[in-house]
Amino acid sequence: MAEVTPRITAPYLEQFSHNIVRITGKVRQLRGEQATIDAAGSITVHLTRDSHLQLNHAVELIGKVQQDLSVRVLTATDLGPEGSIDFAAIDAIVDATHRYHEIFYNKGEQ
Amino acid sequence: MSYGGDYSTTSYGAQGGGGGGGFMPGSQPESGGAKRSYGKDTLRPVTIKQLIEAHHPNPDAEHFMIDGGETTQVTFVGQIRNVSMQTTNITYKLDDGTGIIEVKVWIDSTDDGATEKQKQLGEQAYARVWGRLKAFNNKRHVGANIIRPITDFNEVSYHLLEATAVHLHFTRGPPESLQAKGGASGGAANGAAGSFDQGVGGTKVPPSASMAARKVFQAIKESPQTNEGLHMQEIASRLNMDPSEVMKAGEELGSLGLVYTTVDDHTWAILDV
Repeated sequence: MAEVTPRITAPYLEQFSHNIVRITGKVRQLRGEQATIDAAGSITVHLTRDSHLQLNHAVELIGKVQQDLSVRVLTATDLGPEGSIDFAAIDAIVDATHRYHEIFYNKGEQ
Repeated sequence: MSYGGDYSTTSYGAQGGGGGGGFMPGSQPESGGAKRSYGKDTLRPVTIKQLIEAHHPNPDAEHFMIDGGETTQVTFVGQIRNVSMQTTNITYKLDDGTGIIEVKVWIDSTDDGATEKQKQLGEQAYARVWGRLKAFNNKRHVGANIIRPITDFNEVSYHLLEATAVHLHFTRGPPESLQAKGGASGGAANGAAGSFDQGVGGTKVPPSASMAARKVFQAIKESPQTNEGLHMQEIASRLNMDPSEVMKAGEELGSLGLVYTTVDDHTWAILDV
């Protein structure tokens, strides 16, 4: 597994295509091996057999951004009902991650 | 307000029943080997990337440098990627998205709550660590005083934002507005780096200073000058201020220890510590 997994939201997908990233979002739709999560925008994710997503739960995914900007999940961590997670804080971290990337990831290695 | 104090009360207070009892014996190797004074010890919230990149002044040094600040104790969060039981310690691999580092926790056989806590620290779980960064055989690890499971995911967000705030405090100085308000987040960040304030933010005008003093300080700081500093009249003309006002501001800055008089009582230079 990649040592560094920058936290992103939907608007960053293009910038990080073919990279392994970390996304915290809300589970919106489950369709077998595919799901839609909301992380400042809609993201289609391809699940593994052992990723157990639940509707309206918050989830933290580590996955690889594909050519079509969907995300192939490597690991998924259920964070409980989405109401218990402060998504304003999550957005603030994503912002800080890229604004002050010197303490989060090395820019240019993507 | 001492950051270390805050953390020790909350963490030990909350964890006392579970694994807190193991802390005192566990910390003995640390205190035995410590030649440095504890007054200098700081506890800094960091990302794992900062630990991996921290500058080690020399191979024997007990501290590391992060953003130009001496760092001894650190606290961070991470997701457990691997747990490895050794005879004397448990080694966890922690991943916070910015890097991966090994965390070693000494096994305390007298701690009855240890196995219960151990169960919660499985792979994929998030944990918070308090400990000391160490370099051994060119490999870095953290010798942890405490590792505990994170039950509220918002703590991860909180920690990363706090680490960012402290990093910015060190690299850019405290924002004026945060200092003046002393708001919740600003208070924490300022407190965290409080012991470094004099070293890093040496030429900051305290929020209590008057507006005139601020302007005069800025003028002296920004004007080209010899080591004799700047004369009252010149500051007055630069700032369009009344000389008597400049005089008062200069005395105020002098009493705050920010400037000193040079050739006469009306010429000041920045006291750069």
